[in-house]
Amino acid sequence: MTAIYGLYDNPETAQRAVDGLRAAGVADADIQVMSSEPFEEYEFSHKDSATWIHWMAGLGGVVGLGSAYLLTTLTQQSWPIKTSGMPIVAPWPNLIVMFEMTMLGAILATVLTLFVSARLPKRLPVLYDPEVSNGYILVGVQGPDRNLTAALENAGEGRVKTIG
Amino acid sequence: MAHRWGMVVDLDSCTGCEACVTACHAENNIPTVGPTEAARGRAMHWLRVERYWEGDFPDVKVKFKPVMCQHCDNAPCEAVCPTYASHQTDEGLNAQVYNRCIGTRYCANACSYNVRFFNFFNPQWEKPLQLQLNPDVSVREVGVMEKCTFCVQRIKAGKTAAKAEDRELKDGDIQPACAQSCPTGSIIFGDLNDHESRAARFTHSPRGTKLLEDEGTAPKVTYLQRQSWNEPDTQ
Amino acid sequence: MNRTRNNPLADDLVRPLLHTSVWFYGGVLVLASIVACGAAAWAYQLWYGMGVAGVNWPVFWGFYETNFVFWIGISHAGTLISAILRLVNARWRRPVTRCAEVITAFALMIGAIFPIVHLGKPWLFFWVAPYPSSRELWPNFRSPLVWDFFAINTYLIGSLLFLILPMIPDFALIRDRTTGRRQRIYGALALGWQGTTTQWHRLEAAMQIMAVAIIPVAVSVHTIVSFDFSMAHVPMWHSTIFGPYFVAGAIFSGIAALIIAMAALRRMLKLHAYLHPLHFDNLAKLLLLMSLLWGYFVFSERLTVWYGNVPTEMAVFWSTQRGAFAPFYWTMVVCNFVIPVSILSFRRLRTIPGVVLVSCGVVVGMWLERFLIIVPGLSTKQLPYSWGHYAPRPAEVVIMVATFAAMALLYMLFSKFVPIISIWEMKVGNQPHPAVSADEDEERQGLWRARP
Repeated sequence: MTAIYGLYDNPETAQRAVDGLRAAGVADADIQVMSSEPFEEYEFSHKDSATWIHWMAGLGGVVGLGSAYLLTTLTQQSWPIKTSGMPIVAPWPNLIVMFEMTMLGAILATVLTLFVSARLPKRLPVLYDPEVSNGYILVGVQGPDRNLTAALENAGEGRVKTIG
Repeated sequence: MAHRWGMVVDLDSCTGCEACVTACHAENNIPTVGPTEAARGRAMHWLRVERYWEGDFPDVKVKFKPVMCQHCDNAPCEAVCPTYASHQTDEGLNAQVYNRCIGTRYCANACSYNVRFFNFFNPQWEKPLQLQLNPDVSVREVGVMEKCTFCVQRIKAGKTAAKAEDRELKDGDIQPACAQSCPTGSIIFGDLNDHESRAARFTHSPRGTKLLEDEGTAPKVTYLQRQSWNEPDTQ
Repeated sequence: MNRTRNNPLADDLVRPLLHTSVWFYGGVLVLASIVACGAAAWAYQLWYGMGVAGVNWPVFWGFYETNFVFWIGISHAGTLISAILRLVNARWRRPVTRCAEVITAFALMIGAIFPIVHLGKPWLFFWVAPYPSSRELWPNFRSPLVWDFFAINTYLIGSLLFLILPMIPDFALIRDRTTGRRQRIYGALALGWQGTTTQWHRLEAAMQIMAVAIIPVAVSVHTIVSFDFSMAHVPMWHSTIFGPYFVAGAIFSGIAALIIAMAALRRMLKLHAYLHPLHFDNLAKLLLLMSLLWGYFVFSERLTVWYGNVPTEMAVFWSTQRGAFAPFYWTMVVCNFVIPVSILSFRRLRTIPGVVLVSCGVVVGMWLERFLIIVPGLSTKQLPYSWGHYAPRPAEVVIMVATFAAMALLYMLFSKFVPIISIWEMKVGNQPHPAVSADEDEERQGLWRARP
């Protein structure tokens, strides 16, 4: 794996680095920005595609609801047993089970989507520098096809490193 | 038509002698828990004679009634059991399936009549008392609930005998142990769907009341109130 | 955020993981011994039968069920603080959220043990789970105990995920600061987290969804636990107020437990720079609010019963107010209402020691409240011939004490292996925030935008 990246100690410099890379012709999807905390107010946090996670949560909820409906009604009918004069398929208690499984479905779908869309767990060699945990922001490109050192150095105070 | 088992207890002729309690113990292999456990409130009397004293000496009145599982049509104990151990059969009995019971004791809490009992320990019979156990009735292990079954083993035996003899069941063929042993014949058991049976006829007696009727449990045991011949206007 | 190479925030919060004092080992040893005693008591009960406990006819539920409801109640701390404060963007929540979420996770696990302990045949506890069994019998979905199974499992899974997801970036930070076996373990736990903008975006979106989802789950859990009682015909159980009453009581006891845990952590891990008197003051105000709410519910329920004057209910009513249970009842009222309202209403008295004292009283009072809901009702049901009484026996008491020790032990072990304050969330909190309107803030974060 080859890569070039810069480590900057504040988000404004990181933003300039990202703009510099764009000016040098690198596509948004190839620019990786890593930090030890999210920086929601800066534009570089928003260059990625929007997340599907909300739709997936809703889908998970629907799957949970359907499963619960089938679980309760089918099993109650598979061996009808009379209890307390209640109907064999008891709607009010079944609603409770349906509610819980709806929420469980939404929650599990959310977490699953998070792992899949954030591509966790990661095993392959990835671009990373432990200095990120010390508060530096890493702006870099994996497998660059041109010389980007100038773009990264011109952003401001920071260190530029290469791998491979 | 399917059977619908019910019971009538005539409080007028009942003397409170508790022969029924003893007979129930013997018939159904109910363990005797011993004095220490009984003092802790673990005695298991599927059928008990409740006594209430009113007034002060010398005007003391005592009222007593035998109370057993009422085999309610709207039994509060059935819906709360997580494993269907308590459910209603097609013949109206409230069945307790020992093998399904995991001992949550919720049914006992839900029962307004407190007629359900729990095996706090494994029942034991000192030798040679185990020879008296009724082979038609299972012995329950620790951790399961039990209660009056209207002597379901006798109901089953009666139906089997009638079928073997290729005849219909007659009223009086099936007698639970309590009904059989009552010296005054105060406990009457029968098929409520058989309108000729004594149980069905006495259920509609003007003296008939149900225990805790306004709870809405629809019990199938009818109690015939006492008629006191020296106080004609009192109930 | 940290603009320099020195990270006092990360240093302080990672230090407890890297340096262990002798007090830690001593504390773990003592607590583990108490837990072992509890396990022994349970083994004794498994061997001899439920008869070693104090339950009897008619009081078939006692200490075990009290503790079950109590611990599930305590577990509502994390949800309120973490999820609701997260949703309203309250900034003071940041050092508090993980402490609270940990309480939820462990209290739920401990509370979930009691339905197994209280069974007559605990080895068959799995029969409440829906699975295709060879008996072809499924659980009875009409039973509140089966609702408990679904509710508590959903809440447990949800809370654990709510706790674990924001731990991933912190594991990455620890991975980068340690070497050898520690680094391998934390590296595995970090799942290869790099902190790319994509990952942060999705993590924060997931947390937002989970915060929204976990609140109705938490409300439903304790409502369903209350249904264990309100679905039965027992006098003073069969009340429609139980759902909201239990939820309010749960949040009340949960906040009290959280305050105690935070005070202990602040002292033992020297987190004075992160857990400020302001945090305790804010939580104390919430505790005061919940105390008033609790008083409102108790008054509503009791007035209704007293006014209705139904004999079966009045028997239970008087047994708690004037009869055998009166000492416990009035202690509960003092601990849950009189003391909190008297002390927490005055800013001068809302010091950390004052608030912790009040919280200890609330924990005791709320335990008594669970006990007083369960036992007096069962002692005085509809037929007076069957009235009885209950007294706990050693096995129940030992197991109860062991669960408190287990909670403390689990908490200690957790704070040894995971930073008890979320480091990345603290960093975000330290970022300078320009004043923005809610709409602008949402627009910038773009969290609710979904493009195909």
